[in-house]
Amino acid sequence: MDILIQAFLLVVRPDVIVTILLASLFGLFVGAIPGLTATMATALLVPVTFFMDPIPALGAIVTASAMAIFSGDIPAALLRMPGTPASAAYTDESYKLGKKGMLDLTLGTNVVFSAMGGMFGVAILVFAAPWLAEVALKFSSFEYFWLACLGLTCAVFISTTDPVKGFASLFLGLAFATVGIDPVVGHPRFTFGSIELLQGISFIPAMIALFAVSEVLRQALVIGDPVEQVSAHIGNIFKGIGAMIRRYKFNFLRSSTIGVAIGALPGAGGDIAAWITYAVSKKFSKEPEKFGTGHIEGIVDATSANNAALAGAWIPALVFGIPGDSITAIVIGVLYMKGMNPGPTVFLHNPQLIYGVFIIFIIANLMLVPLGLIAIKSAKQILRLPRQLLIPIILMFCIVGAFAITNSILAVVILLVLGILGWVLEENGFPVAPIILGMVLGEMLEMNFMTSMIKADGSFLAFFERPIAGVLGAMTLLVWAGMIWTGLRPKRAAA
Amino acid sequence: MTRLTRRTFMTAATGAAATATLGAPSFAQAYPSRPIQLICPWGAGGGTDAVARIVGTLLEKDLGQPVTVVNRTGGNGVVGHSAIATAAPDGYTIGLLTVEIVMMHWMGLTQLGPADYTPIGLVNEDAPVVIVKSDGPYKDLKALIDAIKANPGKLKASGTAQGGIWHLALVGMLQALKIPPSAVPWVPSTGAAAGLQDLVAGGVDIVCCSAPEGKSLVDAGRVKYLTVMAPRRDPTLPDLQTLKEITGAEYATGVWRGIAGPKNLPAPIFDKLLASLKKAYDSKEYKEFMTNRNFGMSWSAGPDFGAFMVKADAAMGESMKSAGLAK
Amino acid sequence: MRANDAICGLVLLVLAAVMAALTIPFPEFPGQNYGPDLLPRILSVALAICGALLIKRGWQARGQGDPWFTRPAWLGVPIKVMRLLLVIAALLFYIFAGDPLGFLPVSFIIIAVLAIAFGGRPFWALVAALVATLAINYFFGSIMRVPLPRGILDLFV
Repeated sequence: MDILIQAFLLVVRPDVIVTILLASLFGLFVGAIPGLTATMATALLVPVTFFMDPIPALGAIVTASAMAIFSGDIPAALLRMPGTPASAAYTDESYKLGKKGMLDLTLGTNVVFSAMGGMFGVAILVFAAPWLAEVALKFSSFEYFWLACLGLTCAVFISTTDPVKGFASLFLGLAFATVGIDPVVGHPRFTFGSIELLQGISFIPAMIALFAVSEVLRQALVIGDPVEQVSAHIGNIFKGIGAMIRRYKFNFLRSSTIGVAIGALPGAGGDIAAWITYAVSKKFSKEPEKFGTGHIEGIVDATSANNAALAGAWIPALVFGIPGDSITAIVIGVLYMKGMNPGPTVFLHNPQLIYGVFIIFIIANLMLVPLGLIAIKSAKQILRLPRQLLIPIILMFCIVGAFAITNSILAVVILLVLGILGWVLEENGFPVAPIILGMVLGEMLEMNFMTSMIKADGSFLAFFERPIAGVLGAMTLLVWAGMIWTGLRPKRAAA
Repeated sequence: MTRLTRRTFMTAATGAAATATLGAPSFAQAYPSRPIQLICPWGAGGGTDAVARIVGTLLEKDLGQPVTVVNRTGGNGVVGHSAIATAAPDGYTIGLLTVEIVMMHWMGLTQLGPADYTPIGLVNEDAPVVIVKSDGPYKDLKALIDAIKANPGKLKASGTAQGGIWHLALVGMLQALKIPPSAVPWVPSTGAAAGLQDLVAGGVDIVCCSAPEGKSLVDAGRVKYLTVMAPRRDPTLPDLQTLKEITGAEYATGVWRGIAGPKNLPAPIFDKLLASLKKAYDSKEYKEFMTNRNFGMSWSAGPDFGAFMVKADAAMGESMKSAGLAK
Repeated sequence: MRANDAICGLVLLVLAAVMAALTIPFPEFPGQNYGPDLLPRILSVALAICGALLIKRGWQARGQGDPWFTRPAWLGVPIKVMRLLLVIAALLFYIFAGDPLGFLPVSFIIIAVLAIAFGGRPFWALVAALVATLAINYFFGSIMRVPLPRGILDLFV
């Protein structure tokens, strides 16, 4: 109890409160601007937090990342440009809902379920961190390989209209991920002698290019036309949310759980959690045919999951010093910097600091609702800005946001090339979302396959020998068998 | 390649224009008159990044101009190292060199070597340690070596990319013990953290990395250090025996980090940076920070750092060739 | 610009072939069953299959009167073509002029030119360009320390 009071006193200090408020606004802003991402928000906070006290420093990162992951949903619904990669899975769905006149409900769902998912994640973090970290540490390359396979399978569920083109996009994404130094033996692939290309095509600039820049190109062609604007009128976004919670409480629980679990796995974060829960949602929905046409159910799942994953990622980071995602990779550096060396000892040596972080997590998720509302209202004001001015400014944000991730002009080249590609692909009916999925999972798939083969001395059976790997492998094969089965059936009926 | 050439040309042109406009003497006298970039070839949040940031902050305090750490990652360090080498030698772009600068060219990844820089000062050195699971079958290094000899090829090791410094350290140790390197296949990983996670998960049997990288899992009681490959014991781990103490075999290597500028840094700028870096290295803050993270302290200035790199380069070439990792 | 599926398929086939061809000089790595060429080769086969399926589908569509290319309406409106090309030019301008000129002038020019080309009033376009450029530069360049290119700024300090 003493520790809790100490922790509480650490948090309710004016400097801490001011810091987390500023960090919230920063996170909301960065998340809501297409081109600026949550990872960038955290990376940019590192120098700022370098010489702060531990509590405001960690508090700033916690709040900024939670806010950014939520507010990435706002431009997805309003402009069809996801603010962060974690919103990419359901960008189309949100935008279509907005076009149907259900913008209020979509944004309300985003903010409420994001906060609830975040809370769920914190609860797990507080009560089950050591246990979950234990499970996460049982994952070796065999388990990750199967996880990557399951992740790729999601592409089938998200690309609705045209499976062949959906797969082509997925393979293109996987191919982009092979550019650069190969992860296993360090051989340069497809770099054509360029030093810059050795760093590969980094996926955040690619995401910005495929979604935001290609949308800028589309806008360039329709600007000045009498537009069918997404009705920028935003009324009471909380109307009907109570009914949503009652209706989708099971979805929420399922997806938040999956979200925390995926977040806790080192190397897989909120973006993968969003894809997987969206696909799971469609698979088990009573009305899967509505997915992709502007249906709220998948959004409930994915928007809860990506915020739940955020807290999940802190589990292995705090307990074992192993990062759960790109954000906590930076957090661990900050922890060391503050002399709070992560590991079980951090709970012994500095429990008040850890509980302080937990308290900030809770505050951040509580603040998410009112601040999120303000963010949505201000986003509406920004949308009032004439498009002629807004679109060029967004393009500049894309450039700065892509550049800030790698500090390399290659990021802008990626914007140009993949931006045009995304636009051309979309014109021809190829979905771009699977490209991002392929890029996220590409290295995970290859690295874990290769290293597993080295460990197993080339024996495929080893992929099923470990208990968790065996279960995951069997699940993957079952899902694939099911897909082939349903794929073949209608053809037989036709023949 | 073309882009870098263009950039070099452009920066050189701008630099020349600047000198022409302002006149050379005032240019050097005023240094630094604007923010300085400190390029770090590795990602934000990692160990190298932390060293870069503490050095950057201390330099900033002394020089009175912002020193911004710029992470240029990718290509196993090639991208960042080449960005330092190809910057204009005006003192406004410096960087942190890591041991990879004497490794990459032997692997055929780049032509860059120590000669492409103006060394300013070495600031850190860390030796490799051998780590196994605490509840595993190997209670000490001797037991591990016996197991390797009894079943060559069965035990797998990890800790960094193929041909990375820790891979090389393991091969060097095996060779010093007269065991063929193929007796312990290397499983590449994206870094020490990933390798350690795989060790705990039971995917590999041995991890080779630096002591600070393993610290949190050692504190957690999951893994243990068996030996350190260094001429003498680590002062922060006084109980950990060196390889020589245990086996009599002599082998030492390690990672190191140092600050450098592009080739042909003007002497006044070099002097100013060196003085500032020396002050940073001697500061209480630096010592506290490095001890807190278990980083090893090590200092050599300017030409000494250069000589250190030349020596390290030759030694690394030899051991990489004998390990079959050089092209 | 919508192309017949057969053309998309053909592009995928060519891409797959180029990718596979580029992996041929990859060296063998002793002691490893699979090298860095494995995934690219699998992917080139997969892309080739998608390409072949699209060619088949496109060919059938041709039979039902689908043209090789559908000429989009905007191609006939010069100002739209110009706007599209200007966005591409803006990115190229940043890539090539960003370093020598610096962020401030390049950002200002890009936002101002695009905003005017998109039909914004010149006065407001210039105001927006100025405000946005200064705000981005201050926030990211100064506070968050993103190393935005300084370019000609160096001449004045």
